Amino acid sequence: MGDHIVSDQEGKAGFDLSKVDELINSHRFTRRNLLQGALAAGAVAAIGPVLSACGSSSGGTSSSGSPAAAASPKKGGALKSAIGGGSAKDTLDGQIPTSETQIGTQWQVYDALMDWDPNHKLVMTLADSYEPNTDGSVWTVKLKSGLTFHNGKSVTADDVIYSYKRIMDPKTAAPGASTLSALKASGMKKIDDLTVQFTLTNPSVTFYEAMAYYPNAIVPEGYDPKGMTGAVGTGPWIPTSFQPGQQVEFKANPNYWGEGPYADTLTMYEIADPSAKLNALLGGTVDHMTLLDSSQVSAVKAASGMQVLQAKTGGWWPFTMRMDQKPFTDARVRQAFRLIVDRQQMIEQALGGYGWVGNDMYAPYDPGYPADLPQRTADIEKAKSLLQQAGYNNDLTVQLTTSTAVSAAAPNMAQVFAQQAKAAGVTVNVNKVDPSVFYGDNYLKWTFAQDFWATRNYIPQMQVGAAPNAPWNECHWKNAQWWGIVTQALKTVDDTARAALIKQAETIEYQEGAYIIPSFNVLLDAYSSKVTGLAVDNWGANSACRCRYNLMSLV
Amino acid sequence: MPLVKIIVRRILLGVLTLLLVSVLVFAATQTLPGDTARAILGKSATPATLKAMRQELGLDRPAVVQYGSWLGGVVRGNLGESLAAKAPVTSVIGTRVRNSAVLVILAAIISIPLSILIGSLSGLLRDRPFDSTTSLGTLGLAALPEFVIGILLIGLFATQVFHLVPAVSVVQPNVPFTSQLDILILPALTLVLATSPYIVRILRASMIEVLESEYVQMARLKGMPENVVLRRHALPNAIIPAIQVIALNLAWLAGGVVVVEYVFNYPGIGLGLIDAINNRDVPEIQAIVLLIAGLYVGFNLLADILTILVSPRLRTGLQ
Repeated sequence: MGDHIVSDQEGKAGFDLSKVDELINSHRFTRRNLLQGALAAGAVAAIGPVLSACGSSSGGTSSSGSPAAAASPKKGGALKSAIGGGSAKDTLDGQIPTSETQIGTQWQVYDALMDWDPNHKLVMTLADSYEPNTDGSVWTVKLKSGLTFHNGKSVTADDVIYSYKRIMDPKTAAPGASTLSALKASGMKKIDDLTVQFTLTNPSVTFYEAMAYYPNAIVPEGYDPKGMTGAVGTGPWIPTSFQPGQQVEFKANPNYWGEGPYADTLTMYEIADPSAKLNALLGGTVDHMTLLDSSQVSAVKAASGMQVLQAKTGGWWPFTMRMDQKPFTDARVRQAFRLIVDRQQMIEQALGGYGWVGNDMYAPYDPGYPADLPQRTADIEKAKSLLQQAGYNNDLTVQLTTSTAVSAAAPNMAQVFAQQAKAAGVTVNVNKVDPSVFYGDNYLKWTFAQDFWATRNYIPQMQVGAAPNAPWNECHWKNAQWWGIVTQALKTVDDTARAALIKQAETIEYQEGAYIIPSFNVLLDAYSSKVTGLAVDNWGANSACRCRYNLMSLV
Repeated sequence: MPLVKIIVRRILLGVLTLLLVSVLVFAATQTLPGDTARAILGKSATPATLKAMRQELGLDRPAVVQYGSWLGGVVRGNLGESLAAKAPVTSVIGTRVRNSAVLVILAAIISIPLSILIGSLSGLLRDRPFDSTTSLGTLGLAALPEFVIGILLIGLFATQVFHLVPAVSVVQPNVPFTSQLDILILPALTLVLATSPYIVRILRASMIEVLESEYVQMARLKGMPENVVLRRHALPNAIIPAIQVIALNLAWLAGGVVVVEYVFNYPGIGLGLIDAINNRDVPEIQAIVLLIAGLYVGFNLLADILTILVSPRLRTGLQ
């Protein structure tokens, strides 16, 4: 069994979303089928870990650079990894991960009800199955049986309800709160110890997106994390020492529901300086590091015993134009800017070649993504003519605000864009600001800036970045026709019909949108020959293997 | 005693300096965009959550009140609570202070005697091969920024040429500090190479001057053995100008470790200060800055006192 994610459907990779919707529509997804499926899944889940221990660990199917399969993962040993720089303000609270280090740590200690597999397909984690009603206003979720928290307590429906209440509590300031905005505390009902029913005030056919959002972690009733005490979850790793800003140490969870962990202990070192992070790997202090910079690849390849893991992802770093401010109020100017970009050149120069071409639309793995729309390329003549029509005669000057807070490569992308814009008679003044300034009071107010996003499907991305009440609508995007289509899509249960509506919505953004999406990210991790089991993941942020340390073993 | 009066006056001035520094630091952090609440909440901040967090951290009070309450605590010996870590400042920076102190003391213990020795020898063997090489060496090292020295050392001893020592200096928490001392080698060596050139050069220059002085000529003419001349007449006088440089170097070490700590990811007050500034964590920033400023003032005072004690001329001038 070469799979890493234990799912509830015959152990095959991923849980195919379209199949779920088919079953729902054909009304074959009755309670009886559900129970049968759950039984089969339970059987597979029970023997799954045994099989995977005997079988080989293969890489994800999506990209090159996967390591050679090991015979069988060796148990034991100490895993050491270097991630990005942390801060004294970091906590182990599983529901408020906001920084890179907190997210990487949270993934080890906690689980949400569901998750995304390396190919961005939905998989069941703590949940065994879910069943929406016909219009998506009531969702019934069944937990797997026999799940325990790190402290031995069983995972029950009460814990799920408590966890979601805590996320919805404004005092928690949880990033997942907006994903649960259609849920009220009174709308959560315990059906039995392992079954919860969610009643949404606004029906949503994609509520599973909220349940699969990693900050919506399931924690035990009475959860009160202070430092390391009380930071109890269901994840593969149990924290044994926590130095915020320096490192976190874990020991393997012997009762983990999923695959692994194979190593006995894990230490995640937080190193801010990219050179120091690489030195930690080259010098042998760690055996794995996340987010290698493209400029460091040659150093890794030149060192003996070191390898690069390369992941093609759906993560993106767009340029954001505020369509409610001049000059971007004019759709022609927005189009012109999109035509200025030589996308391949931007990838070569700003990303060291590590990226794949984008077409100004997000959610590339969504079934509704219009892959058949013509790939936009640089067209300076057309850009100039559009700008002239809009009233600019080689005299347009804009300020582009950038920061390393977006990504290490973002300022480079900004410089390349400024250079490319000259050809079209546009003067772009790059304003590089401190991370605390970029995401400070002016965030979401910059006229022309950048931002970072991981891989999401269209509806959840739209909900946080483009909808009228979205928390992070950088472009201040507003389009009545588009919103009409999207509202329709939110209510469309049939997967094919919804994909068609999404395609329409994406096409509107393709024509009139305010994002420039020149590329999607190819992430790089580096590791030594001492570790194996790294699997490519298209998550698009934090790490090329999404920090799945439970799958790694020492050779 | 006049010396005591001078010391007391200098200490009072030092305290006044620290007070002024604290006001300047507070004013500077107020002008920085954003505050701790925004730093903690990051991208997921909303007006409601910001307001709640600001209330919790006391950031909604007027600036003067915030400073006053902090100062009142300090006067009573309480450095306050770190806004980002929500724990007493002393517990947050305690181990960092220890880590930086160990590194600085180690660097000082090695660099000071070594530089004095090399500097004196250079002056003594003026224009001979030893002197020429050290002159070139110290000039080169003084010209290189300390992070370049650090990176070169890492490449040489840890990653590219040899693999003798760790390339980063992460401190493992559950292992005693004393059994991890190999992580100090490269950062300490970097600091030694960064500070020694100045001491070497000044000692060389003052040694040359002293060796040409009349009393040394007199001692030699009297027939004193050369090593006695050096030990009792030349060296003590040569060191006097060096004391000021050594004191300034120690003071620089206290604050200048920031860059070296960043290169090696060593968990000292340098990295702590960077993090505190990113978090706009005023109590923690103040504590670290006042520590560094206090060390600066202290080392300068120590240098002046030593200079007075060592030169009888200045001592008699006090009467």
